[in-house]
Amino acid sequence: MKPAPGVPVVGGKSRAGFRLMPIRGERIFGSFGVLRRAGVGAMSKPLHEIRDPIHNFIRLETPERKVLDSRPFQRLRHVHQLAMAYLLYPGATHRRFEHSLGVMELAGRVFDVVTNPNYSDHEVARNLLRSYQSDFGYWRRVVRLAALCHDIGHLPFSHAAEKELLPEGWDHERITDDLLRSDEMTRLFKDIKVNPDDVAKLALGPKKFGPKKHREATFDPWEAILSEIIVGDAFGVDRIDYLLRDSYHAGVSYGRFDHFRLIDTLRILPKPGSDEPALGIESGGVHAAEALLLARYFMYSQVYFHHTRRIYDIHLTEFLKRWLPGGKFATDIESHLRMTDNEVLAEMRAAAEDPAHRGHEPARRIARREHFRLLYQRNPDDQGVNLKSAEMIHAHAASRFGAESVRSFRYTETSNPIEFPVLMPDGRTGSSLNTSEVLRRIPVVSVEYVFIDPAKRADAEKWLGGNRAELIRTPEGAEK
Amino acid sequence: MKQAERQAVLLSLIARLRERGSWCGETHIQKDTFFLQEGCDVPVEFNYIMYKHGPYSFDLNDELTAMRADGLLTVVPAEPYGAHLYPSEMAPTFLARFRNTVGRHAAAVERVARHMATKNVKELERSATALYVLRSQPAATTDVLAAEINRLKPHMSIAEATVALAEVRQFIDLAQSPA
Repeated sequence: MKPAPGVPVVGGKSRAGFRLMPIRGERIFGSFGVLRRAGVGAMSKPLHEIRDPIHNFIRLETPERKVLDSRPFQRLRHVHQLAMAYLLYPGATHRRFEHSLGVMELAGRVFDVVTNPNYSDHEVARNLLRSYQSDFGYWRRVVRLAALCHDIGHLPFSHAAEKELLPEGWDHERITDDLLRSDEMTRLFKDIKVNPDDVAKLALGPKKFGPKKHREATFDPWEAILSEIIVGDAFGVDRIDYLLRDSYHAGVSYGRFDHFRLIDTLRILPKPGSDEPALGIESGGVHAAEALLLARYFMYSQVYFHHTRRIYDIHLTEFLKRWLPGGKFATDIESHLRMTDNEVLAEMRAAAEDPAHRGHEPARRIARREHFRLLYQRNPDDQGVNLKSAEMIHAHAASRFGAESVRSFRYTETSNPIEFPVLMPDGRTGSSLNTSEVLRRIPVVSVEYVFIDPAKRADAEKWLGGNRAELIRTPEGAEK
Repeated sequence: MKQAERQAVLLSLIARLRERGSWCGETHIQKDTFFLQEGCDVPVEFNYIMYKHGPYSFDLNDELTAMRADGLLTVVPAEPYGAHLYPSEMAPTFLARFRNTVGRHAAAVERVARHMATKNVKELERSATALYVLRSQPAATTDVLAAEINRLKPHMSIAEATVALAEVRQFIDLAQSPA
């Protein structure tokens, strides 16, 4: 007999892919092993454990596993965490699925540390925690579920092409919000006695939950701290997990830092110059925090915004614009759940072999490594002459070689959280910038690239070499 | 308003705040920009939400980061208020390109700087929250607005909220009257 959706079968596989073995009182850990007692259905066991290369074990309770088994979450098995970064870093084939599990694991750990009465040294923390301590069990579950679900709205290939491929006013956070309020998820949350609004609020955080869809939304200090645990700029566990996980899979070591020490020293403290509660750190954890922010800087500048990775994203976007109906992804829930990297990759492979396919050209560039090549990148010398030097080079190159032969990419970090509260050994609190010379010197990541068709690369490089100083001096930007 | 023009207005605000004695931390810039936008109708177009201690704009936080990346702002650590944000050495050259934009909003910038520069964090929160509530419910009575402020920020009494509302109304009236 076919089991009901979500109900595991002893000796077989659940919808989540868990291998469930009838073991008598033993723990069994496969790649997705489940801890259970003999003679008891796995879902009745309160704790499940999943092997993970970053955190060793990810533990989840049965209600959380119901969410894990849901369609929106299972879809993340088919969405690459780093889009097509695997074309540069062949090991970077990991998915949003395991990242989300890692974020949930870390969110629980951080919640336990910052709500521990023994670590609530500061009055700001004590005042905040006093009001909510009777509900810690509920909020711990909400934080973990929000962490688990924070990425379910991601499009195929994650961030690669989000802005251009969604209708105006949409982003993946808005799709996440819709999914969390869908019939399937609402039923699940009701079953496990969790308010979907609370999950959505913490999963999206004030930056995305407020302005995009709920303009009148307010975040009280408790909600703000809990969402900071997940999506906070400085110590959000989303960031902690992706830096560790992405560097592990990409095979680069500079994304690593002592996250155990970091998490153990996190505290709720007053923001420098204010009594506004924020996630801060005990002075003993400052070096771990420095390492985290340096790791972030290196990963952003050397992996996430590596120029070759960005040009693959540009070609991928071009392919999707030509292939998708109307050049956009559909935003309704069913269409979203059906569309993953798998569907895109299958179509792209076919397009690369078929000159009649409207996405043939960008698909071929990706499949055969015929991507555009780097012609120019932003640098401090040229910035000193003209802040818009890359825009100037792009405009001149497009005019000389044709717009179809030139591409550009620009990114400036949207947050650079070098300041956070620090608890000193004598009980005072202060700013991290007064504690750490290193933090003061971490630059804001800002990259700009101009790319050229490989067929015109030699000519373009010669042209740029002879005219660079003159090209970037062209007046721009000033008001008319 | 284009991004570069918006950055020029922000730079001019920060410079005036500094001249008038503000420590120019992010909290100050956040609340003062909110006054510039909502109290003086300068179209810098930042989304604000009601956050931990009053209106806060993540867009503005992003913009300030971008200005640091472009070398227009410098972070200077200081006790007890945390980091100061000051116009960098490059700022005057940049501002010179946007003389018209800066000139167009100079009176509003001056008004905000004069009104806000010496306020402490509690006063900033009180004033900015009052302005937020007033803008959200323009037709409501003072009693209703004061109750709403107290609901959003329970540590602010009805009496404090009422005083803050009167002060904000006076600021708006002055901002709308001919210079």
